[in-house]
Amino acid sequence: MFKKILIANRGEIACRVIKTARKMGIKTVAVYSEADKDALFVDMADEAVCIGPAASKESYLVADKIIAACKQTGAEAVHPGYGFLSENAEFSRRLEAEGVKFIGPKHYSIAKMGDKIESKKLAIEAKVNTIPGYNDAIAGPDEAVKIAQKIGYPVMIKASAGGGGKGLRVAYNDAEAHEGFASCVNEARNSFGDDRVFIEKYVLEPRHIEIQVLGDSHGNYVYLNERDCSIQRRHQKVVEEAPSPFVDPEMRKAMGEQAVALARAVNYESAGTVEFVVSGATKEFYFLEMNTRLQVEHPVTELITGLDLVEQMIRVAYGEKLPLAQADVKINGWAMECRINAEDPFRGFLPSTGRLVRFNPPQEIDGQVRVDTGVYDGGEISMFYDSMIAKLIVHAPTRDQAIARMRDALNAFVIRGISSNIPFQAALMQHPRFCSGSFNTGFIAEEYPQGFDASMVPHDDPALLISVAAFVHRSYLDRAARVSGQLAGHERKVGDDWVVLRGKERHEVRATPIARGYLVEYNGGKFEILSDWRLGEPLLHGTCNGEKFTLQLERRGMKYRLFHWGAQVDLTVLTAHAAELLALMPEKAPPDLSKFLLSPMPGLLRELAVTEGQEVKAGEKLAVIEAMKMENILKAEQDCKVKKLVAKPGESLSVDQVIIEFE
Amino acid sequence: MHDIIRQLDEKRAAACLGGGQKRIDSQHAKGKLTARERIELFLDPGSFEEWDMFKEHRCTDFGMEKQSLPGDGVVTGYGTVNGRLVFVFSQDFTVLGGSLSETHAEKICKVMDHAMKVGAPVIGLNDSGGARIQEGVASLGGYADVFQRNVMASGVVPQISMIMGPCAGGAVYSPAMTDFIFMVKDSSYMFVTGPEVVKTVTHEEVTSEELGGAITHTSKSGVADLAFENDVEALTMLRRFINFLPANNREKPPVQPTNDPAERLDFSLDTLVPDNANQPYDMKELIIKMVDDCDFFEIQPDNAKNIITGFARMDGHTVGIVANQPLVLAGCLDIKSSIKAARFVRFCDAFNIPVVTLVDVPGFMPGTAQEYGGIIKHGAKLLYAYAECTVPKVTLITRKAYGGAYDVMSSKHLRGDVNLAWPSAEIAVMGPKGAVEIIFREEKNDPEKLAQREAEYKAKFANPFVAGARGFIDDVIMPNETRKRICRSLAMLRSKKLENPWRKHGNIPL
Repeated sequence: MFKKILIANRGEIACRVIKTARKMGIKTVAVYSEADKDALFVDMADEAVCIGPAASKESYLVADKIIAACKQTGAEAVHPGYGFLSENAEFSRRLEAEGVKFIGPKHYSIAKMGDKIESKKLAIEAKVNTIPGYNDAIAGPDEAVKIAQKIGYPVMIKASAGGGGKGLRVAYNDAEAHEGFASCVNEARNSFGDDRVFIEKYVLEPRHIEIQVLGDSHGNYVYLNERDCSIQRRHQKVVEEAPSPFVDPEMRKAMGEQAVALARAVNYESAGTVEFVVSGATKEFYFLEMNTRLQVEHPVTELITGLDLVEQMIRVAYGEKLPLAQADVKINGWAMECRINAEDPFRGFLPSTGRLVRFNPPQEIDGQVRVDTGVYDGGEISMFYDSMIAKLIVHAPTRDQAIARMRDALNAFVIRGISSNIPFQAALMQHPRFCSGSFNTGFIAEEYPQGFDASMVPHDDPALLISVAAFVHRSYLDRAARVSGQLAGHERKVGDDWVVLRGKERHEVRATPIARGYLVEYNGGKFEILSDWRLGEPLLHGTCNGEKFTLQLERRGMKYRLFHWGAQVDLTVLTAHAAELLALMPEKAPPDLSKFLLSPMPGLLRELAVTEGQEVKAGEKLAVIEAMKMENILKAEQDCKVKKLVAKPGESLSVDQVIIEFE
Repeated sequence: MHDIIRQLDEKRAAACLGGGQKRIDSQHAKGKLTARERIELFLDPGSFEEWDMFKEHRCTDFGMEKQSLPGDGVVTGYGTVNGRLVFVFSQDFTVLGGSLSETHAEKICKVMDHAMKVGAPVIGLNDSGGARIQEGVASLGGYADVFQRNVMASGVVPQISMIMGPCAGGAVYSPAMTDFIFMVKDSSYMFVTGPEVVKTVTHEEVTSEELGGAITHTSKSGVADLAFENDVEALTMLRRFINFLPANNREKPPVQPTNDPAERLDFSLDTLVPDNANQPYDMKELIIKMVDDCDFFEIQPDNAKNIITGFARMDGHTVGIVANQPLVLAGCLDIKSSIKAARFVRFCDAFNIPVVTLVDVPGFMPGTAQEYGGIIKHGAKLLYAYAECTVPKVTLITRKAYGGAYDVMSSKHLRGDVNLAWPSAEIAVMGPKGAVEIIFREEKNDPEKLAQREAEYKAKFANPFVAGARGFIDDVIMPNETRKRICRSLAMLRSKKLENPWRKHGNIPL
């Protein structure tokens, strides 16, 4: 076996690869950019080599630097992770030329599958189902419109070199095809340095289901069942699961065999993924593309098959034979993964960067909860790389149990300092359509057309929240009542009767102390809340009538903000008399911010698209902010007139900084 | 006898109605509670002992003799907050607008005198239109009697003013002399002269809210320490605040037991200070992670944000925290922040509250605005306050401690008891760049050489070891063990005894 390997990647996947290498007794070398010098993966690796500045173009994407690091450290093989150089045939070829093993497929397999036009031709030859479309290079937008008309709308316009949602447009008519082609070419050129674009039929009600394949250098292939990645937001996967609630055994076999046929057609050696788009109505499936690398969502396959895919990749690269045949591949239970992203679901999922003031993922439990992450408590989310900071993966006997386990795990995931999509993930985990398994890639766009806000996660167990609020409030009061220096014989006695206010709702409760907690009587029910919670801690583990729960809370002045199952609920606990008096207090209207365009995130003001005095229609572009390498366009929410441009292009903006004032 | 009891009941009922139901309703309509409702919310239920309910004014001018006003516009007495004794007066706006008469003042003076005798805090809930004009000079005399007592009580028992309505003219000077002023947003204001007079004299058009509202005084003038949304929140938070304070200057601050381990480590603090010396970070994160139960009661959060002041507990014991805030003006000291911190340190010193100082200070703010504004004298206030202070002083330098500001911020030289530093600490006369440009002035046209000098300077002085070698720093600690080390230092210092030489009083540069 290899003595030492280098991981040409960063973040959670670098940590993930290092863990397996360690288990196999292989030493590891990390390469890192200056922005990552304090990153977890650098700390975990046996050796680390700095390969340049933060921008990945000058570090993680520079093959020369990685090859030099191999030579410097004597690494015998390179695991590329995903992204960066993982699907760069030239890199794989060069490593081979330098006598360093590439832990991934051979360069010719990457090259053939990397080009979407090329790969589709290959798929057709291998008798893999493909979508009707136009596979040759397209001269210009006018030609694109003609082709689109021939295929029939809707069509998808996609960059040949694209991936991860970049360089992709859907057009429903000629105008959109014309515009979509132009912008797609632009984006493809800017993002990938390759402006070739192709057009194909857009499958309605599509599910994204992919087959994990594994091949070795001895001509053996297996498929490790499917993953359903249909829950996507703007073509970015959000939740992945294995198996798929949609796939039946015959379909699995058909898809698996086609995937293996394709892998065989390119002599594929390593782990790879064949992506299919599956029609939700007809169960027909079409080949989309093959990802010649380890996928982000590979852990769900690992959990249901019991295989360590990274280990298999390393063994295959070393020349070993696959340890199993197709008949040995089983499905054990259900696995689900939530991508935890540094983004604010309540502000249109805009990226959130900065210091992780708190980062405490849920406890990992073998066979139940797994957390793959590359960040740590007190770490930094920089603007240079993508926003995924962790993957939360659960495993359970059934899909329903997996969902329940995921909900509990999300409750326990503490992230402070930056925003995360945890509330959104929690909302998905209780969405009836998600739970029923009948969804397609349009799910999020259909269910959350206006975006996501806190009101979309109604809490279905108010008794728990109210009881916990009473528990927390009495905990604080009883603590304060133990202060020294009280008048002897006139010590403070905290009362048992309280009113819990949730907005205008008024709930009368009685909370009496019992060992390790309080007995809360509410609405005719009795709730025994027990917990060893430490005051001030954001995480509260406890039991309610013996049943475990986990929630998070913040004390904000008089209020308690509880976070549970994606809901954020503000509760105030007062005596009945105080509640009466509070009702006399005027309600204060929040300040009118509609007269301002505020920066929804920290970033760089790239462009101001309007001038002072200009009349603007709703939906018109106002400004462009760049954050995390993504351009975010801010549009007018209503018709308005620009009064003043407060911020200037090129300025660094903080959250809620005023950009434009309206009349 | 029965008759007397009946009379008593009637009198009580009348007194409890203050200015009558109509005025109570009008008070409520303004979003304000009545004097008695406020006391009920503030004190432990049922603990209020009222005095002078039957006291009436003695004025016979302008028809006042026809108005019998039991209690005379202020409710006074004592009670407990979490079982601890406090004296309280609550002005009743429903009775002649809470105006201050001679007898109204006598009632306030009575509770203040008792508070001084037994050593307990005085809490004023202010809601008064001002002097009772009908009484003329008698009312003014009443104010002065209160002022005199405010001064005598200063540094003896804590005095807190909660402004819950108007407070104008001479009336402002009683709260001004108390230790803390809290205000309620939108329903309280304080000014020496109101908008009408301002308009006549200076032709400025300004609303009461702009001139002296809670936002103005907590963010612009620094007169008030905290602003609350409404009466209920204000009084709830006031209760929490009282739990930090000792009853008087002869007692130690109270202890509130905690299950937050004194030796708790927090490894996330190891990455709090960024590598780049010019990159800010939030000092409040350190405070919140270091203190008991993440419970930090900040004072003046919206004024002079470049310095943080507030109360917390460590191992159950109250501490005062003063910390430079690198997020605002790089944490430098200027006029406002010096005044804010100096007053806070003096309060802590007066009431035996140990001072924990967290230092990341690049120096004093330069500029004509500062110099013309008298930064020399104002900066000296903070220096004076720290130098005079005899309570336990624990100082932690997290990053920069440059120049005179290093000396000021509770340094060893100002009798700092325990002075710690993180490995990121840089204790020097100034930053490397500035220092090199002065020491090697003749090389200023040679950027290469200057850069080399800068690197040399950095290697030599930009660390805690130079100060450590002289004993100015007692130890260099890892950020993760900050709580543990400070808790231990404070435990060690609990029996500290230090007295300044006898004098009538010092002459702090006012």
